[in-house]
Amino acid sequence: MKRILALLLAAVMMLSLAACGGGGVSLEEYQNQTQPNATDHSGKEVKGNFPVPEVGYDGSAVTITFAHTMGAKLQAVLERGIEEFNKLYPNITIEHSSYGGWSDIAGLINTEIIGGNQPNIAYCYPDHVAQYNMAWATVTLDELIASEIQVTRDDGTTEVLGLTAEQIADLQGGGFYEEGMVYGDGLMYTMPMSKSTEVLYYNKTYFENNGISVPTTWEEMEAVCKQLKELDPNCTPLGYDSEDNMFITMCEQYGYDYTSATGDEHFLFNNDNNKQFVKKFREWYQAGYITTEALYGAYTSGLFTELDASINHSYMCIGSSGGASYQIPANGAFEVGVAPIPQVSTDNQKVISQGPSLCLLKGKDTTDQQVVASWLFMKFLATNLDFQTDFSATSGYMPVLASAQDHEGYKAFLDMADGYSNLMALVIKVGLEQTDRYFTSPAFVGSSIAREQVGAMLAKCMSETTSDVDTLINNAFESAYKECKYHAG
Amino acid sequence: MVESKHQWKAWLYLSPAIILLLVFTVWPIINTVAMAFQNNYTAGLGTAKGVKIAYEIGVENFVNVLQYENFGQILKNTMLLCVATVPISTVLALLIAVALNSIRPLQKFLQTIFFLPYVTNSIAIGMVFAAMFNIIGLREGNTVADTWGIINNAIMLFGGKPINWINQGSTYWANMVVMIVYIVWNALPFKILVLLGGLQSINKQYYEAARVDGTSRRRILTRITVPLLSPMIAYVVITGFIGGFKEYSSIVGIFGDTMGPKSEPGRLNTMVGFIYDSLNAGTIGAQGKASAAALLLFGIILVVTMINLQVSKKRVHY
Amino acid sequence: MENKNMKTLTAKDLQQVSTASRVMGILVKIGTYAFLIAMALIVLFPFYWMIISSLKSTAEYRRNIPTFWPEQFVFANYAQAFEEGNLWQLFKNTAFVGVVSTILSLVITILSAFAFARLEFKGKDLMFGALLATMMIPGELFTITNYLTVTNLKWIDTFAALIVPFLVSVFYIYLLKQNFMQIPNELYLAAKVDGTSDLKYLWKVMIPLALPTLISITILKMMGAWNSYIWPKLVTKKESMMLVTNGLRNAFTSVDGQANIPVQMAAVAIVSAPLFMVFLFLRKYIMAGVSRSGIKG
Repeated sequence: MKRILALLLAAVMMLSLAACGGGGVSLEEYQNQTQPNATDHSGKEVKGNFPVPEVGYDGSAVTITFAHTMGAKLQAVLERGIEEFNKLYPNITIEHSSYGGWSDIAGLINTEIIGGNQPNIAYCYPDHVAQYNMAWATVTLDELIASEIQVTRDDGTTEVLGLTAEQIADLQGGGFYEEGMVYGDGLMYTMPMSKSTEVLYYNKTYFENNGISVPTTWEEMEAVCKQLKELDPNCTPLGYDSEDNMFITMCEQYGYDYTSATGDEHFLFNNDNNKQFVKKFREWYQAGYITTEALYGAYTSGLFTELDASINHSYMCIGSSGGASYQIPANGAFEVGVAPIPQVSTDNQKVISQGPSLCLLKGKDTTDQQVVASWLFMKFLATNLDFQTDFSATSGYMPVLASAQDHEGYKAFLDMADGYSNLMALVIKVGLEQTDRYFTSPAFVGSSIAREQVGAMLAKCMSETTSDVDTLINNAFESAYKECKYHAG
Repeated sequence: MVESKHQWKAWLYLSPAIILLLVFTVWPIINTVAMAFQNNYTAGLGTAKGVKIAYEIGVENFVNVLQYENFGQILKNTMLLCVATVPISTVLALLIAVALNSIRPLQKFLQTIFFLPYVTNSIAIGMVFAAMFNIIGLREGNTVADTWGIINNAIMLFGGKPINWINQGSTYWANMVVMIVYIVWNALPFKILVLLGGLQSINKQYYEAARVDGTSRRRILTRITVPLLSPMIAYVVITGFIGGFKEYSSIVGIFGDTMGPKSEPGRLNTMVGFIYDSLNAGTIGAQGKASAAALLLFGIILVVTMINLQVSKKRVHY
Repeated sequence: MENKNMKTLTAKDLQQVSTASRVMGILVKIGTYAFLIAMALIVLFPFYWMIISSLKSTAEYRRNIPTFWPEQFVFANYAQAFEEGNLWQLFKNTAFVGVVSTILSLVITILSAFAFARLEFKGKDLMFGALLATMMIPGELFTITNYLTVTNLKWIDTFAALIVPFLVSVFYIYLLKQNFMQIPNELYLAAKVDGTSDLKYLWKVMIPLALPTLISITILKMMGAWNSYIWPKLVTKKESMMLVTNGLRNAFTSVDGQANIPVQMAAVAIVSAPLFMVFLFLRKYIMAGVSRSGIKG
């Protein structure tokens, strides 16, 4: 075995020597370089890395691939969309494939990028895009969006390759458009596709019977919790499903630092301001006002729908808008109300925006026509009202277009909204009313580590038994920060 | 037995395996080593644009790994899990296999049952453990909960105090016990299958002879079964150690990606867990760090395996 | 003569020790059964859980306090699994990959194990050590390199990419080598003297004797095809090549990314059933094989 080791080592040394003999840029140079700005056909420098070809889409036959995570039901909706799209562009063949869950898709695509087999369009979260960016594999959308080239469709009509002013306004009205620019370089990388947010679910029947008003601020929330605890000492008034979101949302609502996509220091959350609200929530937890998934040991939606008054149960739950179906109690035992989550102040109302977007990928062998065709399809998915509303009504995700509310079929869907079995529609309604509140935290390589760390830290600070709260909190912040720095500093 | 003129034959028989191994195992290993010695190696940088990066050659990746604050903890977890689970699962599997082999009625039925874990989805296994150990709704000074989990129910039935096994605020040792039980459980079916296969290959005449001589059961076990089965036992132990040092997915099965209770992320992390984390983080230097950690792990496993082989050379009866 | 002597001896002995040893024997038997049944119940628990989970409604499954027996049997989960999962296609692909790779893998494993167990050649220990060493590096690190290799070979979206990279398993070569080594060397030498060729000896003696282990390897290899996940997804995108795990993992995911576990469990139960049948069939075969070959030697 010793001999083998020696052999291996020798082979490696030779190999690595050979590797560096080949030239190339140093790692430092690569990191300091942003993606090279491209020049267009006339030699003019363009914004971002993709100059739109002069002809736009030339109508030629192209095959493009789309990687997503959709299950059977959503794939059916997607296929309906593809059918519609192909009526306009029959020469663009779309091969779509489900890559598994969220934990799978980013890893798979990262590997594919190395082999040059990446899909043309990926259904993704900002954290993923940041990774694709690191390999310079993404296509910036700025030039495509701004393009005024006319593209001829199969029925003889034309459309502008880019987005029209109305389309942009419609997308901005939906509240999710700016999310394409959370990467710190001012460039646009993604189009929103299907979005979710957090809402406050509450037991409307109980609230009405006891004359409790729904809290709109955290101050009111504290009072309501106190009131509920007095009415029903056996309850934990509020469940917050995700500690990660809780921490990030509080930073945003207070205007305190969390992370930054730019600058030398990404991780800004280790500050005294944040420790203050963490301390406050610790008090809430100790008083029995609040719990989270980790602290409770199971989904807090289960706590909310629990009907046995002799065990733990809650009257409010802050959870994902996509999880509405889990917040419905058995047999319609009570009416569920839905409200925006409480705020720190009415001047700076914030609620997290989640859910996948779409990005374009380009490898060495990807042709410009493929990119343009992919853009056309991506644009279709984001801006086609029929598709958006169909997708939303099936999935429970929110549509990304403000005009969705005026869509005939979708109106009927929203009109069915109630606090019982049609809770999904009710949640979407609330989501559509708070479009000015959405925020997305900065995305960079390592932003997902920060999410995980702050969530863990919050859970620890809220629950751990200690006589010295400040030391506990200081240490927890410090070690979370160190962990982030080690993995992504 | 040495027949030098037949040497080529041995190589001929081995050739399909060797060729495939060279392409799909040795080549990746060489690459792993190469990545480990290129400072901050990051796979895929610039590939989409055909840009090549010249990394500096050095040992920075190793330094990075060793400087990790929790490296000691990771090493400790890896060792502990391996050392605790391999002997327990081997002895238990041996007892079950021998017992299965010794009975007549119900033998087929029981053998079938011990095979069932193979057709059980791993998600189901994780779920069961959650139901066994997870406490839901712990509150008020840890005296009231909505569900204590099956294990605690049993403990309380016998008048014991419930233990916080895996939840918020649980101790390291409680976590460890759960992991050991889970890993042993997971490892059992394969070991039983292998040992049973080995037992069935033992010539029945040995037992017949022993029966005629009136040898006691224990003597049959220690003097006939175990020695004749020793190649398989050695196999189970050696591969068990190799696999044990690579433990990772079982921890995710219980604790999820946090590799510990939510408030203590990474408390039960292992070497391979660290490698995964590095790869998944996808940050600059990810593959370099992961490869360096893999080589360090390789070194540890190599030493342990050499000791194992040395011991088995003396003990195993061929 | 001898027979007669023995008979008298045992008869006398029996009278003295019979009661004690018989009681002992019964106790041991009861103990053995109790132990086996207890272990069986423990081992069986997850399987039981999978089945009951596959019959629960989503709401019941998600309840915080788990139920040990479905309050209401939702057989519709199975219907849904069939409808949405495209199970037949998945099953066909997986079975094809499983059978082909198992057969090829068995051939390679048997030949290699034979060389290591019975032949002498220069560098044998070194070679074997090297093989073992390959097991000591976590395979996760191989993915990128192998992916590039398969890409360069133009194997993307072919069955070759699903089968070839995993044909050799040192794990199984080692297992079979150990099993072969249990077989007394004298048999081989005798065969040599008789002029039997290696392959004939391998076929006529070694394989029958190692049949139980070979069957274990077959089952494990088949299971590999049933359980592999990341790699198949990486190298094949076509629906027509998708393997069971890939198909299942996502087919029943609800929109907010939470898997519909009951339906998923139902699907797993459906696709595992054939595998279980194969095992039952093979086991019958093992027993026959063992009793046939056990006499000789």
